[in-house]
Amino acid sequence: MATSTTIWEKLGFRKASGVTEAGWGQTLLAGLVSLIYFLPVLLIIITSFKVQNEAMSVPPKFFPTSFFGLIPDVYVFSPTLENFTSVFSRAFVTGGAVESTGFDRFFFNSMFIAGSSVLLALVIGTLAAYGFSRYPLKGNDTYLFIILTTRMLPAIVVIIPIILMFRIAGLSGSYPGIILLYTAFNLPFTIWMMKSFFDELSLDVEDAARIDGSSELRVFFKICLPQVVAGLAATFVFGLILTWNEFLFALLLTGIDTRTVPVAMNQAVAGGGIGVLWGLLAAIETLFLIPVFLVTFFLQNHLLRGVTFGTVKR
Amino acid sequence: MTMTATQQQTPGFLNVAPDNWKLAIAVGLAVSILAASLFPASASFWVVGAMVAMVAASIVVNAFRKRYYGGLLVSPAIAVLFVMNIFPLLWSLGLSFFAYQSSQQSMRFIGLANYSRLLTDDLKAPELWGNLTNTAMFTVLTVSAQMIVGFLLAVMFAKQFPLRRYLLILVLTPMMLSVVAVGVFFSYYYDPTFGLISQSIKAWNGEQFILFSNKTGAVAGIVFADAWMWSPFVMLLVLAGLVSVPKYLYEAASIDRVGSWRRFWTITFPYIRGLLMLALLFRTIEAFKMADLIILLTKGGNDTMTISYHVIRIANEQNKTSEGAALSYLLLFVVIVLTNLYLYIANRRSREN
Amino acid sequence: MSTIEVKKITKKYGEFLAVKDASLSVKAGEVVCLLGPSGCGKTTTLRMIAGLERATEGDVIIAGKRMNDLPPEKRDIAMVFQFYALYPALNVGQNIAMPLHFEKLSKDESDKRVNKVAKILHLTEVLDRMPGQVSEGEKQRIAVARAIVRDPNCFLFDEPLSRLDVELRHSMRGQIKEVLSNLSKATVIVTHDQLEALTMADRIAIMRDGMIEQVGTPHEVFAKPANVFVASFIGTPQMNLMEADLKSFNKGMASVSLAGSAVEMAADPAVSTLKPSKVMIGIRPRAFTAESSAGKSTIRAQAELIEPMGAETLVHARTKLGGDIRVVVPRTQRVKIGEVLHLKPDPKQTHFFGENGRAVRA
Repeated sequence: MATSTTIWEKLGFRKASGVTEAGWGQTLLAGLVSLIYFLPVLLIIITSFKVQNEAMSVPPKFFPTSFFGLIPDVYVFSPTLENFTSVFSRAFVTGGAVESTGFDRFFFNSMFIAGSSVLLALVIGTLAAYGFSRYPLKGNDTYLFIILTTRMLPAIVVIIPIILMFRIAGLSGSYPGIILLYTAFNLPFTIWMMKSFFDELSLDVEDAARIDGSSELRVFFKICLPQVVAGLAATFVFGLILTWNEFLFALLLTGIDTRTVPVAMNQAVAGGGIGVLWGLLAAIETLFLIPVFLVTFFLQNHLLRGVTFGTVKR
Repeated sequence: MTMTATQQQTPGFLNVAPDNWKLAIAVGLAVSILAASLFPASASFWVVGAMVAMVAASIVVNAFRKRYYGGLLVSPAIAVLFVMNIFPLLWSLGLSFFAYQSSQQSMRFIGLANYSRLLTDDLKAPELWGNLTNTAMFTVLTVSAQMIVGFLLAVMFAKQFPLRRYLLILVLTPMMLSVVAVGVFFSYYYDPTFGLISQSIKAWNGEQFILFSNKTGAVAGIVFADAWMWSPFVMLLVLAGLVSVPKYLYEAASIDRVGSWRRFWTITFPYIRGLLMLALLFRTIEAFKMADLIILLTKGGNDTMTISYHVIRIANEQNKTSEGAALSYLLLFVVIVLTNLYLYIANRRSREN
Repeated sequence: MSTIEVKKITKKYGEFLAVKDASLSVKAGEVVCLLGPSGCGKTTTLRMIAGLERATEGDVIIAGKRMNDLPPEKRDIAMVFQFYALYPALNVGQNIAMPLHFEKLSKDESDKRVNKVAKILHLTEVLDRMPGQVSEGEKQRIAVARAIVRDPNCFLFDEPLSRLDVELRHSMRGQIKEVLSNLSKATVIVTHDQLEALTMADRIAIMRDGMIEQVGTPHEVFAKPANVFVASFIGTPQMNLMEADLKSFNKGMASVSLAGSAVEMAADPAVSTLKPSKVMIGIRPRAFTAESSAGKSTIRAQAELIEPMGAETLVHARTKLGGDIRVVVPRTQRVKIGEVLHLKPDPKQTHFFGENGRAVRA
């Protein structure tokens, strides 16, 4: 006997069973909401294919094609890749020679600075987290609390002395300075997250390995680390997202050679007296979004698992 | 452990040994103070740095000899945090007692004058209060918007459905944008002439819409952009809590015919409470620091100045370094009070359970 | 009336067939155990009755009403979960009171009901504790208390005792049986433990690979297994199943060649329908008597391994053909390793199975 199905069930809403299983109906709902939520980003991406006067057109032009005449021509723009090529050259200055804007350098800076500082924080922070977790000190909680508090400081409190310190030490505008700063910036979160991961591991396996004669180093690398891969991935993604887009420190502490994309973007906003170059800016942001988007996408499963594992205490 | 072993492990105070960290600290302090008073700042900095390195090295050697692995593992992190956070923090505290402007080289000790001026000056005190109330308003508005939107998004994504993975990443994207782009493009969307909002309102009533024409509009615009950007963060934390609720509890609840309201408060909420509090804390602190979006959207116009922006202005644009330091210490004080309040509530809850 | 009827239900997960055409009916006041090895579909069947899974085909009828499309909330059932599913944020009393909120009782009334079941299940002392602070046995009783605190259409138990240690299990079996016997509701218990099923159930449904192999009283499934699987699954030590040649059947006497010995024994008249050929013969280890000398109806085997079980002794013996045969002898009968045994099967406890594996009985 066939079970009766309502129209809702055909659309994918399941009623009788499956507490957390939902069907295509949920996809429809979530898709709609996600799309609305994503719309501002989508508009940035669309703008990156427009020339300046189309970006500022009234009425706005949303569509790259008219879909065989379905869309009135006033809403259709002619897509161009000009902005993307302009990112790396200064072709948009009328009459001027094609000149490098240095954005290739800025992209490299962003990647190098964010990547190395997040990795450095991950290495140092994981070691510290393991130390805090396995060799509790007297007053462990106090130390941890101080470490966490440093993350909560308004950046502005420390920025003045850091500027002075960097000036004296000759670190202003250098890679080591900003990388070290970002490492410190990422450390509290890393330590705190990784510690809760190490706390959850069973000590029996480690003790068994010690009894079998493994050295402490071997226990750490062969037994502990493989069990916290999700945590490492989640911490990496969080750190990357925060560091990648950091603006204030970068604005004040990077030089012309070490400038990161957000700072350079901020300077490109002015556009040399001809107003904001929307298309160009959109192209920069679109390009800038791609790496962190891909990393997040591929580590997404770890991200969710990582947050759960690391923060929910049973 | 025998007496001799103890003696071997703890060298006498005056023994020059690589693991005699007490001596190292004493020598380091003496040399640093000497250097600071004798040499110019740039030279003494390196001397102090070398002394710190020496002390650190002796502590490390000591720890290693005593097989004190915990300390060894933690020390690199402590070192980095000390150099980049705690040391500047102390420096900044010291600066706040001086009259110092980075544009000039003079430095004069004035005690608490910076603080008293900020709190009592006829011009500065009302401005500070105005900025503080603005900050509080932004904090309350953005954080509550983020919590609500983030929570609703999380509830939507807490189920398993086709394409979930791809839709989730779409919602996470705003968090990955740089704040510069968000600021600039929201001003583009808010633009009275070609902005989308103005244009759609114009199509309806024929009038141009200037969002930033009054304070309400300006605040709404800033809050909307900030909430849009950071709700995904709250969503991620809440989602993590939601998916950690064991499925069998919901099954038991449906067998027990528990209503959805009660089901949420007795089953779901206890699992996300901790994460909600965490999200609340993180976002409150971030909101308290909010400056960049305001710089990009209104430049503090329409009475949208926040305390953080105020500090940046004083310290960076007006070069009143030490006054900025004093102000940031006031700000730090507020943050510490907030954090402790949170910890107090969190601890009381955990004691209850 | 509190009854459950399951008519030919089938559950498919994609291509995988978890339950196939299972039919079962449970009368009011009757306890039916779903028994089978893990992965046989018994829990899926129970979850379909509860409404936690939806049947791909077939009908679930509870209290005379078809409930296929109703969610668990609308089925008015009580269920005890394998992992108890206690609400971690509520204390024991609140946990037990959870199903009562639906009935919108007054606080006093609800407290009274909770105290009543707490008394029955000896939980009065722990009512104010959190689930994390009580013992495993108490958790189990809380789960039962939560189920019996209201007056549902039927009770469902999913492996209720699997997490308890042997002693607790024994006492809980008795307690649950006692509690259930006073309630006169249709009850289904899922278990993989045959002792649990044999002691608690009025009838047992034995499942394998998503199909119900036999439904019967504990006595029936033990004494008259419907097929080879049931025969081998029920009873410890396991029934001896041996291939045999049926030579002839005459006047109620079958002569077979069994384990290398020619044996003549009384058999069910229906055995005559079997073609004289290969059959499967099942004899329980306790159905042998060891004779002093070889006779017309004895099997010869040599004792190889001896496992004392207290009151009895389990002997593993090697037959002439090299097969293993399990025999239980009284403790008083001392068997030595290497000793030759002449085993005489009790004809009343000897089962003949045809080539399709089904038991042959009149």
